Amino acid sequence: MMRSHSIRILFCFLVLGALSLQGQVTFEAKVSKKRLGLNERLRVDFQMNENGDNFAPPAFADFQVVSGPQQAVSRSWVNGVQSFSKTYTYFLTPKKKGKLKLGQAEVTISGEVYKTSAVEIQVTEAVKKPNDPNNVDNIIDGNIHLVAEISKTNPYLNEGITVIYKLYFRNPISVSDVAELESPSYGDFWSHLIKIGRAEINMRGSYKGEPYNEVIWRKAVLYPQKTGKLTLEPLTLNLSLSVPSNRKDLFGRRILTQTQKIITTGKNVIRVKELPESNKPNDFSGAVGQFDFDVILDKYALKASESFQAKIKVNGKGNLKLFNLPTISVPNTLEVYEPEHDEKVKITLSGMQGSIEDNYTIVPQYQGKYPIPPVQFSYFDPKSATYKTLTSQDLIVDVFDGPTAGTSRNETTLSERKQVIETADNTFRFIKLNTKLSPIHQEIFWMSSRFWILLITPLFILLTGYLLKLFVLEKTEDVTTRKQRRAQQLAKKYLSSAKKVFNDQALFYEALERALHNYLKAKLKIETTEMSKSKIERLLVEKKVNKETALDYVAVIENCERARYAPGSSVNIEEDFEKASKLIATIDRQL
Amino acid sequence: MKKYLRTYGSLLPVIVFFSMLLVPSLSSGQASMEPLFEEGNTAYNEGDYNKAIALYEQTLKLGQHSAALYYNLGNAYYRLNNVAESIYYFEKAKRLNPKDSDIQINSAFARNMTIDAIEFLPESQLAQLKKRLFNSLSFNSWSILTVVLLWVFVGLFLGYLLFNSTQLKRSFFFSSLGVLLLFSWSFLITFSINQQEKNTQFAILFSNQIDIWSEPNQQGELLFTLHEGTKVQLLDDLEEWQKIRIANGSEGWIKNASLRALNETIIK
Repeated sequence: MMRSHSIRILFCFLVLGALSLQGQVTFEAKVSKKRLGLNERLRVDFQMNENGDNFAPPAFADFQVVSGPQQAVSRSWVNGVQSFSKTYTYFLTPKKKGKLKLGQAEVTISGEVYKTSAVEIQVTEAVKKPNDPNNVDNIIDGNIHLVAEISKTNPYLNEGITVIYKLYFRNPISVSDVAELESPSYGDFWSHLIKIGRAEINMRGSYKGEPYNEVIWRKAVLYPQKTGKLTLEPLTLNLSLSVPSNRKDLFGRRILTQTQKIITTGKNVIRVKELPESNKPNDFSGAVGQFDFDVILDKYALKASESFQAKIKVNGKGNLKLFNLPTISVPNTLEVYEPEHDEKVKITLSGMQGSIEDNYTIVPQYQGKYPIPPVQFSYFDPKSATYKTLTSQDLIVDVFDGPTAGTSRNETTLSERKQVIETADNTFRFIKLNTKLSPIHQEIFWMSSRFWILLITPLFILLTGYLLKLFVLEKTEDVTTRKQRRAQQLAKKYLSSAKKVFNDQALFYEALERALHNYLKAKLKIETTEMSKSKIERLLVEKKVNKETALDYVAVIENCERARYAPGSSVNIEEDFEKASKLIATIDRQL
Repeated sequence: MKKYLRTYGSLLPVIVFFSMLLVPSLSSGQASMEPLFEEGNTAYNEGDYNKAIALYEQTLKLGQHSAALYYNLGNAYYRLNNVAESIYYFEKAKRLNPKDSDIQINSAFARNMTIDAIEFLPESQLAQLKKRLFNSLSFNSWSILTVVLLWVFVGLFLGYLLFNSTQLKRSFFFSSLGVLLLFSWSFLITFSINQQEKNTQFAILFSNQIDIWSEPNQQGELLFTLHEGTKVQLLDDLEEWQKIRIANGSEGWIKNASLRALNETIIK
């Protein structure tokens, strides 16, 4: 304070001196202000009233010279008095805060060296409005804005958003030319720029409630392809502006100055939400929006080997170009070709709109009925934040006429398919009208107890049969031959009695004869009294005994009688005995 | 001679008794259900397939079935474009009557409706012959034939034992040997059919679409996709997973599939 006071006093003296000592040389330094912000400019004038040489500015150690020196000389005569002034002007910006000293400047006037006094400048913090409102930059900053208007800053993945870049400006600025310095590339988005022919100025726009002129510079439709925080790169424009300056022309109008101004939207952040995981359909393929879905056939009945078209169509609003249509699945005997994809999508400010479709050409091979199973299409509706699934209705294609499966049986490519071989016969058959129903849960006969009983029983029977034969039948056989055996035994007994009397001829023959008779009696069931040789012979023949044997038998008996009644005749006892036993055995076999 | 007959004759009541055991399995329980079947046929002919199906299924619910019934059901479902049901019933009809040509043809029509084209594994001549032989009689008929052949053998052999004449004895003996041979074949065939039935369980897939995995967990590889109406062979299961094989020999695991077994005994 003291110092400034003393400066002021000194200054007064100087001025007084200047007034009183007219014609005296003055050389002084004038600063525009002694207290300024770090970001403000300081103007320093070094003024002299006599023309001087060798002007040496002070060393602006703490300042930076923005411009200067500018030399200005003015001469005037007023009431015959000449006045002269010569000024060196510098524009400076301070380099640091604090008290800065502006050093002395020197000049040589009429051979004498004059010096200005040093000036102290107080530099404070940077101020917000560095300069006066009339400054050009200031005017520009206040009256021109570039804004990116984003329709939604937290969309879902694949939900369309629009970004409109608008330039606002108002009096007194007018824009004469615009050049784009930096264009956003929309890296994580599917983007589409909407063409704007000529920039039109909307005089009635408003920015933050104040009237502005509005120019829509660009429109973009974006579909985020990534979740999370995505940054929109800034749009930067270089504007050529006409701004009224402080100066005025002859008629008092302000002179317009042309300046360049770089203006940017700054970075915008979009937070992209993940689509909800809950209730997400399995066949969801990324469609987000509002859609309609349909499967359309162009024919429902056709001949085999003709073709028909199946169209899978989705129309509506949403990311139409960004998802795949569901595929159609058809019965295996239909030949399906690769679909043709068709898009009729308009992109407007509200996003993609229109329809996309896949056209399948299908050729049936054989006659029959072919159901086209319903196709499902799922999408996410961001408005209701839910998944929706649309299902086409069941469609049936009736293929009539034309080749049945059988006719293509000889084709090598198809001959391996079993159904082809089996459909060799023409048409679908009618139902059966007669049936014989049987219980479903029929007892399985195989390995059932009944089965085993029936399997084991015959074996059991076989065993019994065998045992039966072994014991019972064998025994009954004995009974039948018993008599025969008795007869043999009898014969043997009789013959044995004869054998006992082998030495006595008469007794032997008597016994032999009796034995033969007894044998026959037992065998033929006849009484001894009736026995005669002729009768024996007859009986034997009746019983189908060999005639010769019968005669032999009778001969033996005769022989016996002869030997009995004619003893001493030449007889052979042993021979006769042998003969008799042989005969009995023979007859026995033949009876 | 008369006495032989008398002793053999004493066995006759026994034979008759055991034959009675056989007979009921052949002819029983066919009567009151046929009107339902005929009503179903009428409904089918009038085009009211739903009604026809209801009537046919009522018969099934009453525990009666036949190849024709299953065949008609398959036809009705075919008319209604229900692929899986149609194939299911045609397959069931085929099981009861493997040789019927109507069933073969319509079943092929139904299979034409399925989405998947599955190539059948080629069968060797021998396998085909074997299949034809096995299918020439139903399983039950085979087992009855086995028993009958044994009885015939026993009869012939008894004849051999009981008759005395050498000529008769000889012919009885050789024919009984022949029948014994036939019996053992028939027994073996029936036995192997039974084993085959037990070990191979077929089912029809009712799920609209199902993924086949290489392992019974989703870390495995996704092998292929099947659609309804496919006939699969059930091989194994693990919790909600089932191992299947399809006609072309591919195998894999499916999860929570809707399957309907063709073999009644497996249906839970």
